[in-house]
Amino acid sequence: NMSPLRLCVPGEKLCSVDDCRAGTGVYQRHGYIYSSLAGYVLKKNEGEELPVISVVRETEAQLLPDVGAIVTCKVTGINSRFAKVHILYVGSTPLKDRFRGTIRKEDVRESEKDKISLGDVQSTYLLTTAENELGVVVAHSEAGAQMIPISWREMQCPQTNAKEFRKVARVQPEYLEA
Amino acid sequence: MAGLELLTDQGYRLDGRKASELRKFQARMGVFAQADGSAYLEQGNTKALAVVYGPHEIRGSRSRALHDRAVINCQYSMATFSTAERKRRPHGDRKSTEMSLHLKQTFEAAVMTQLFPRSQIDIYVKILQSDGGNYSVCVNAATLAVIDAGIPMRDYVCACTVGFVDETPLADLCYAEESGGVSSLALALLPRGGQIALVQMDARLHQDHLETLIEAAMTACKGVSKVLDEVVRQHLQEASVHSRE
Repeated sequence: NMSPLRLCVPGEKLCSVDDCRAGTGVYQRHGYIYSSLAGYVLKKNEGEELPVISVVRETEAQLLPDVGAIVTCKVTGINSRFAKVHILYVGSTPLKDRFRGTIRKEDVRESEKDKISLGDVQSTYLLTTAENELGVVVAHSEAGAQMIPISWREMQCPQTNAKEFRKVARVQPEYLEA
Repeated sequence: MAGLELLTDQGYRLDGRKASELRKFQARMGVFAQADGSAYLEQGNTKALAVVYGPHEIRGSRSRALHDRAVINCQYSMATFSTAERKRRPHGDRKSTEMSLHLKQTFEAAVMTQLFPRSQIDIYVKILQSDGGNYSVCVNAATLAVIDAGIPMRDYVCACTVGFVDETPLADLCYAEESGGVSSLALALLPRGGQIALVQMDARLHQDHLETLIEAAMTACKGVSKVLDEVVRQHLQEASVHSRE
């Protein structure tokens, strides 16, 4: 349950830390919670704990990929050591502006996790597909048709019946949309 | 010089204002749909346009990326038609570079950059008509644009240029006053906490007057913050009415 919405501006004192916990769009200073955005104050009661106070805007705030987040990307380049990708979605939220990422060869599968290359000055996001649920979700064969996964490491083209190697993701049923 | 008195005996300035009076303030947020945030601001005859993009991935050299916070990239420029004589070099001259750097320092103090590591926030401000207090108007316009973009900030950043004439501090100087030999000081303030983000002065002022001048600047900035607050709240109201329709 939520209480009625009221407008607030950056720097406005909302409440003290004894009354609520800080959510998004707010910051804490000297025992009080202040707003950091211009928008609506949202107070959510969550059972026995203190209610969470956050400030939301009409439009979605820009989301940045965070460590540990599951992202959806498109591969833009491949070489023998790594693949370059463009990060398009963080979770299920589309990004306004694509971010660049890298999947190193050793991060694709868990068996090769021990070989870590140091000294690589990475200025892009480092990604890994070394889990069962992570990996390729959509791929096109050399003939151009969308391939169907047949095992965790192979996909088959429906037109030419040729098999190609991919690290296939075992997507959980709740993430699959029609 | 006879005739042009910066402050008459009755306490009126060149444009008829009193010493601590601010110029007429008009502002609009969200003037451009394509940018993440934008604002247009007029203080008297000084008009500025601010546009904000971001936060997005670092463009250009990746080495500039900071691992724990966002980089703020500011660019200040003046339109060629903004001054009385057509400006020959609107970007890249020393004054613009210095202003850009000051804007960057000012906003690094207010924007919560730790929430966006390895990314970049661009703030572009253009002066369309210059009639004194350029830096202050830019800061105020940029504040509105950053709020419009939804980038979290600790507080508003309000700025004002003040000067000293005949033992009296004048708030919100216009061009005639700035060039009339007044020692002008520009101050950017985070009003709620009373924290100063930037102070800039390149004139001569007696040490005894400094404290009075800074006090006057802070009072003027608090006045600016009230006006900015009204603009933001009104914009929010209009936006909410729009979305409900």
